[in-house]
Amino acid sequence: MTQALIVGLITALVWFVEKMGGTPMVNRPLVISTLIGAGLGDLQTGIIIGASLELVFMGAIQVGAAVPPDVLVGASLGTAFAIISGKGAAVALTLALPIALLAQSVKVLIFIVRSWFMDYAVKLAEEAKVKQMYWLNMFGLFLQCLMYFVVVFVALLFGSTAVDSFVKSIPEVIMNGLTVAGNLLPAVGFALLLQPMMNKKNFLYFLLGFLMIAYGKMPILAVTLLGVVLAFVVVFDMKPAANDSNSSDGTSHNQEDESEDLFDA
Amino acid sequence: MPKTKYSKEDKKFFREIFWNSFILENSYNYSRQQSLGFALGMWPAIKRFYHTKKDQAAALTRHMEIFNTTPHLVPLITGVTAALEKKASEDEDFDISTINNIKISLMGPMAGIGDSFFWGTLRIIATALALPLAKQGNILGPILFLLAFNVPHMIIRYYSGVYGYKFGTDLLTNISSSSLFTKISKAATIVGLMVIGAMSAQMVILTTPLSFKFGDTAFKLQTYIDQIFPLLMPLLYTLFMFWLLKSKKKSSMFILMITIAIGLIGSFIGIF
Repeated sequence: MTQALIVGLITALVWFVEKMGGTPMVNRPLVISTLIGAGLGDLQTGIIIGASLELVFMGAIQVGAAVPPDVLVGASLGTAFAIISGKGAAVALTLALPIALLAQSVKVLIFIVRSWFMDYAVKLAEEAKVKQMYWLNMFGLFLQCLMYFVVVFVALLFGSTAVDSFVKSIPEVIMNGLTVAGNLLPAVGFALLLQPMMNKKNFLYFLLGFLMIAYGKMPILAVTLLGVVLAFVVVFDMKPAANDSNSSDGTSHNQEDESEDLFDA
Repeated sequence: MPKTKYSKEDKKFFREIFWNSFILENSYNYSRQQSLGFALGMWPAIKRFYHTKKDQAAALTRHMEIFNTTPHLVPLITGVTAALEKKASEDEDFDISTINNIKISLMGPMAGIGDSFFWGTLRIIATALALPLAKQGNILGPILFLLAFNVPHMIIRYYSGVYGYKFGTDLLTNISSSSLFTKISKAATIVGLMVIGAMSAQMVILTTPLSFKFGDTAFKLQTYIDQIFPLLMPLLYTLFMFWLLKSKKKSSMFILMITIAIGLIGSFIGIF
């Protein structure tokens, strides 16, 4: 009961900060799992679970009007279940994603409800009632925070005991299989991230980054910096001056087109 | 950054644009998306340039039209739009419909650049820096993540408003006459792809315990894979997921379930 209350409140508060702060990424698993861990008295486990969940949710980008899997609910409930049951990151991974995908529908509902009161917002604008517009905007946020609190609280209140006994009854073979799946799940996250970005032409850049680690065992920061250098060379056409690539006649254009073909983003 | 000297009033104005830009998505919805937040973000400009209630109401209503862009970069559009509103308030012949047209034409490119930079590049870099620490349970991991993302975020958020206002209508001609923004977006894609490739190699784990017996000696398959192409299996698995999503149009739920099934079945028959 107390645990459900704590996790529910943290989840609602994190969403409040995320939207009042102009999307500062406080609802990423790295942060929310840490806070849930602290709230449940196991900070370190929270941080470690956050790292595992972050990998899985890496690809859940909020682009345009599409509703992504709800990272906040998934990470917060996943972490809470894992800490309460004492089974750690493997359990969090397998529980969090399905919950996050289910939580989508609740978010859709909020988006629809807020669409309803946009007519009222326009009416306020027509009368230049700025203060009321501000509080209507805040009301929209409070509504979503409240929804998060209720969903998380109810799920934990009825779920954690059930989840706990369920986890204890899982045979060894299945737990091993879940560990394998847990190790593979980051591939799902990366694939989701790559889906809008990668195509046949720019696939080579992905492969290059992969090979630099697989064979070269370089640090990520080195890959990033080399990526920046490569991007400048390719995109801004910084070739040897002999090519005279800045003259704006036909020949240099062909050259530029060729290089740009490689990464039709 | 612009070198123009600004008056005290201008600087106060830029701070107001900055502070009012945060609440953009509080009431995000399907029908008008971020418009309520954007209209409120325009208020510092509207109250500065229009002094009758009728004019202020007209401007607020104008900005209740559907709006959507990357939240971190919205002050750039607010700045440009504020410059247009200033001109509209001073020049009676100014075609009011230009304001929303320019605003809408900025929405797309800004969302393209903003999403690929803030979501695809900056967030990934911040995550990559923080993960090794967080994996060990070190509190500095999440702290480093927030700092690595938000220090650039806040600086860009503030100066994008200043920059947007300064160039106003001009900026638009800059964008259409040069392909600078497309280039920045493409460069961000290259860096993003390489970092995702590198992170896939570090974080996707798949090995096989399979071995073959020739006479008395056992040959472990994994040893051979490691010698010829290390991390071949994680690479193939990541590309398999990508292929299911992109070419086979499978849902994220589907590939998630497939992955859990492959883990369980693979463990059961002993190949993983």
